[in-house]
Formats: sequence, structure tokens, C-alpha cells
Amino acid sequence: MIKPVLEVRNVEKIIKGNTIVQSINIHLLKGQVVALCGGNGAGKSTIIRMIVGLSQPSKGEILVKGIEWRKSREGYAQSIGYMPDDYQFGNGLTALETLTFWAKLRGVPQKQVLETLEWVGLQEVRNKPVSAFSKGMRQRLLFAQALLARPPLLILDEPTNGLDPYWMDSYVNLVKSIKEKGHTVIFSTHQLDVAEAVADRVIFLRKGKIIQEGDTDDFRKKYGALGLHAAYSELMSHASKQR
Amino acid sequence: MHIQAIAIREMKMGFRNPWSYSFMALFSFFSLALLLINTQKFVQGFSSTTATMLNLILYLLPLMTLLLGSFSLTGEKEEGSWRLLSTYPISTASFINGKYVGLTFVLLFIISFGYGLTGVIGAMVGKPFDFITYGMFFVFSALLILLFLAIAILIGTLAKNRWQALTFCVGIWFFMIIGWPTVLVSFLGLLPYIWIKPVLIVLTMVNPAELVRLFIIVKLGGGSALGPEYYQWINWMNHPNGIFIFILVCVILVGISIFTATVLWERGRAHD
Repeated sequence: MIKPVLEVRNVEKIIKGNTIVQSINIHLLKGQVVALCGGNGAGKSTIIRMIVGLSQPSKGEILVKGIEWRKSREGYAQSIGYMPDDYQFGNGLTALETLTFWAKLRGVPQKQVLETLEWVGLQEVRNKPVSAFSKGMRQRLLFAQALLARPPLLILDEPTNGLDPYWMDSYVNLVKSIKEKGHTVIFSTHQLDVAEAVADRVIFLRKGKIIQEGDTDDFRKKYGALGLHAAYSELMSHASKQR
Repeated sequence: MHIQAIAIREMKMGFRNPWSYSFMALFSFFSLALLLINTQKFVQGFSSTTATMLNLILYLLPLMTLLLGSFSLTGEKEEGSWRLLSTYPISTASFINGKYVGLTFVLLFIISFGYGLTGVIGAMVGKPFDFITYGMFFVFSALLILLFLAIAILIGTLAKNRWQALTFCVGIWFFMIIGWPTVLVSFLGLLPYIWIKPVLIVLTMVNPAELVRLFIIVKLGGGSALGPEYYQWINWMNHPNGIFIFILVCVILVGISIFTATVLWERGRAHD
């Protein structure tokens, strides 16, 4: 039996008596790309924060390559690469200096730093201060940071938030290229086009619960050209009728 | 290894921070003012001029250190840098110690530049400082940096953002530097006479500014100016082991702040 890269088992998050995330189960195999989709307050970021170890589940457990955060924080951290959604670069360092710093913390050789910069298309601007970068370039640098140590699992929180269509396309291509190299990716998004373009599987969330999940191809077969948009609309209208 | 990487980043960030250059310009200007005082009245050992100079350093350096240090830590929170680093295989202690080492280097560079500039100009105009007194000023400044930086790390830990850190810094600076004598006199006045000496010792130990000021005054030979309550201090500070006890007290003060900061950052790491 193939061991999953990520196992989220019956995870719940309760904050001040409010259940933010309810009985979530996610299993990701090597090379899979999964999108967590949903509107604001659906619980996407809470799940992402729990997977990266920034927040602990109130119930259930999360394992990456069979390692639980509570049992081996270092081993867990070495198995993941995280791209946050709210990082601000304000320290005057260049792209190369910034990435080199992160690389040293992970024990990544300098050669790999340059390769990663090349991979995300920032090689030519590596000596420019990050404060002078556009939003798209900063997102690429954060993506490079997550990818730097070539971890088995990449966790991306709203990676295309605020990006123009050009950068969204390049993000899609980047994820496709890392998928080809065998990386496993889970990312949150409210942009269904992006999810449809790169994800093998899509998980729809609403109010902290999984309301539907399945292969992207199956959604396409069922809903045709409208794909995930149609699926999401149907789910939302169904959910509001139930209320 | 992680401490080194964090310290190096801190130095790079520090030397690209406009605040560092503002403080460097201010401290250099201020050092030149000390030189001007020296040209008018040669400063050697402890005198009223030396006391004025020490007080001026005492006003400027702790505030400068508190602001640079605490802003560096709150910046990590505000920019999301700590949140990202929390997902890395690094310990919280490496992070805090690395920040402390890096910031110490930046601040020591700032004062070294100021004193160096003053020393060179003083030598050029033929009015150099007395070497021992000049060295004592440097030691005094370096000690203030080391001790107040540890407090700055603690402030940066407790404050949520730069504005809050600024408020805490000014409050602590005012209490420890400006308000201290008044607070001390009014508080000690309430105590029975036999309690005054031991309480004075404890209170002096917990205020780094006062501890370092007394040590330097005693070492400059001005202990008699402190009054009878401090005779015991003068004795132990002039004792051959006095310097080691003083260093031990300083290490304990820095250690307590850094340890507390580390525990608080660790508690905030994945405990929500």
C-alpha cells in the first residue's frame, strides 16, 4: 500500500467555543495536486495553518510522510515547504540574499538557490532589492522559498491572490512543472479557474466543512465547459436551500 | 549555524535600515559635542564634566537601543517573517539569539563609528581624550547596548506592532533613565532605615542604566561622590573580584530577558 504524503484525519478546530473546521479528512498521494476551494470564511486558511504547524488541531491528527508535528517538529518542518499569503518584504535585501538566508536555515547548497531562482524566472533580477519587485515577482520568490529544499509536500496559501492574468498563467505553469518532478501540492484558492487549470483533485469547503470533493476531470465530465464554476454554483445554491 | 545565518541577516538588514544611519549621525554629532567639551576642559578621571558626559550618553543610547531592537522584532511579526520561519526546522532560541547577536553588532558598529570619528578628529586638532577615560566611555556605551538590547528584545516580544513597541520603549526609558532618581528617593523614603541599603542594592541591580552608571563612576574614581549608602558598592566594585561579580550580574540580567523572550515566542509558536 502506498503511504500518503499528507494525512489529515478527523481534524477539527475549535476557537473560543466556535467550531471553525469540522471533521476534515484529506489524503494526498505523491505527485498529486489538490486545491482547497471556497469563499471567505470557508476554513481554507485555517486548514492550511494547521497543516504547516502554525496552529494545532483541537481534535484529530495531521501527518506528513507519517510524521506528526507534535512528535517531531524538525522532521515535520523538513518535509514541508510553505508559501504564506500575507508576507511583506520590507528589509532591503535582494532576492538572492533573501533566498540564501532561507536556504541556510534549511541546509540547502547555494547551487540549488541559483537553480531555484532560474526555475521561477528570477535569475536576472536576483541582485535587485525585493522591495522593488512587483507583486507577481514577490509571489514567485515566496514560491521559490517553499520549493527551495525540494520538500515532498508544498503547501501554498492563496498563491494567486492579487495577481494579474499573466502571473496567474505563469503560476499554473510553475505548479505543472513541479508536479512533473513528483512534488505533492496542496493549495487554497477562491479562484476556480486556477484550481481547474492545475489541480488533480478539488475539495470544496463551506463553513469549515467539506461539502464536496472529487477529481477535476470528473467535475469537467459532469458539468462540461463550465467545470468547477458550475459545480460551485450548484453546491452553494443547494447549501442555501438547506439552511 | 542557524544563529549565524539569522545574525548575518540581521546585520545586513540593520545596515540597510535608514534608522541605523539616523542614529549613527546623531551619535557621531553627539560624540563630537563631547570632544568640544574636552577641548575646553581636558577630561580625565571622574569630574563634573565626566558626569555630564556620562549622563548625556545615558539619555541617548538606551532609547536608541530600545527602539532599534524592539522594532526589529515587531517587524518580524508585522511582516509575517516569523510566521514563515516558524515552519522552518529552526529553534526559537536560535532565532532570538541570532537577532540579539546581529543587533549587538550593528549597534556596536554605530558607537564605534561615533567614538572613532571623535578620536580621529581629537587627535588631528591636538586635543585627544585621556585614553583610559575615553575607553571607559566606550565600555559604558557598549554595556548599555548589551543590557538595553536584551530589554528591547523583551519589549519586541510583548508588543504586537511598532507603535506599541514605541510606547513601551519610551515608557521604560523614561522610568529607568529620567524618573528613576525621583522614584527611588520617594520609594526609599517610605521604608524603615535598616531596609534602605538592601532594597537600594536590589533596585540598583534591576536597573541596568543605574548599575552600569555606578560601575563606571566607581571605576573612574568618583565613588565618593555617590554618598554613604554606596560605600559597600564601592568596596565590592574595587575588589579584584568586583569586575567578575559585575559581569555575572550583567549576564544574569541579559539571560533573564532573553530566556523570557524565548519562552514567550515559543509559547506563541503553534499554540493557537
